[in-house]
Amino acid sequence: MIGAMEVPAPTLGLVDQLLRDRDAMLARIAAGRDLAAVTRAMVATIAIAMAIVGAALGSYRGGVQIGYAAIKLPLVLLGTAALSAPALTAIGASLGRRPRLTADLALVVTALAFGALMLAACTPLILLARAMDLSYHRMILGTVAIFALAGVASLRMIIHALSAETGPGRGSAVIGLCIVFALVGGQLSWALRPYLVRPRAETVVFVREVEGSLFDAIGGAMRSARGIYERDRAPLPGED
Amino acid sequence: MSLAPPEVLPRPELAARAPALALAAVGPIAIGGILALQASSPTPLVAVPAVVFGVVAATAPALYIATATAGSAPSLAAVVRAFGVALGAFGIALAGLLLPAAFLSLSSVAPSTTFLVATAALGGAGALAMRRLARELDPKAMKPSLTSGAVFLVWSVATLGIAGRLWWDLAGEVMS
Repeated sequence: MIGAMEVPAPTLGLVDQLLRDRDAMLARIAAGRDLAAVTRAMVATIAIAMAIVGAALGSYRGGVQIGYAAIKLPLVLLGTAALSAPALTAIGASLGRRPRLTADLALVVTALAFGALMLAACTPLILLARAMDLSYHRMILGTVAIFALAGVASLRMIIHALSAETGPGRGSAVIGLCIVFALVGGQLSWALRPYLVRPRAETVVFVREVEGSLFDAIGGAMRSARGIYERDRAPLPGED
Repeated sequence: MSLAPPEVLPRPELAARAPALALAAVGPIAIGGILALQASSPTPLVAVPAVVFGVVAATAPALYIATATAGSAPSLAAVVRAFGVALGAFGIALAGLLLPAAFLSLSSVAPSTTFLVATAALGGAGALAMRRLARELDPKAMKPSLTSGAVFLVWSVATLGIAGRLWWDLAGEVMS
């Protein structure tokens, strides 16, 4: 009788299971066990891990930027998960997959928590780069590389989870999630930038003014690369 | 002897699909709302649902007629049921894409971004609905054949082409 009682899994136990035995964690989500506890634990994991990563990135400039980046990076990941997870459920359900919004949300935040933990594990590398006075552009390239690695690890976990399912709609749901995730994540991180600021920057802002989307900026950069400029010359410091 | 026509959607099935069909009805209005916010004009609130449902209503009979002529059509009831399922799929898919679309549009100042995002949401949901329609028509009633596949392909291209043209004209009008 006592053995049949459901014991809520402690948060640290869930994080440990995520790191050591991801198959068991995915089986727990697929079976719908402790979904609320798993989601809560993973949201907390993302918040803490990304705050650490943000603080490490902010330390490149130092001062108030450490706090700014520590607040913004968790918001980017959690906001992207909240906006994107319903797409996984909806696209799958439109093709006949069983609709499981709670389980899909738990899966997405669990995969993102795994990526966030990987990024947190890379924090010493960020601090080492800071200690070595690595140039700004090299720092950006290094940051992009470790974020890409963490993103691939998260995505792999979602694909692995869905490949265990049977029935239609899995493939389209994953492709749809990837597209929505890339667009929303890209735009949200663009809207909340900057995270990495040059050490010589005199002032920092929490977020820049809305000046167009990431995609507008990419379009502008592509036009500039082809020699089509919208201004006669680049602005000097202090100019708009 | 009863002369009542056979039910195309049995009542329990209709009740089960009602939320999805409601989403299909509301989704295009919401996309129209996103466009209306950017364009500061209420026209898209009416025009977007009109384009979506107008095109489906205008082209759906053609699919039945063409497949029946080709000798591979399921019964009328089965075709109506398949369209109901596909419309529900459209509503569910669009509901999942609404939040990301609204965020991407509202966080950008460029009208072209809003247009692209709205196009992607409607186009994505439409493509998923077409895929679902093909599957609903195919396995039981329709004998899989090259002709029926070609008919469905031509119908899909024509439907998407008409909807795309009307959508382009609407966007040109409200975004200018």
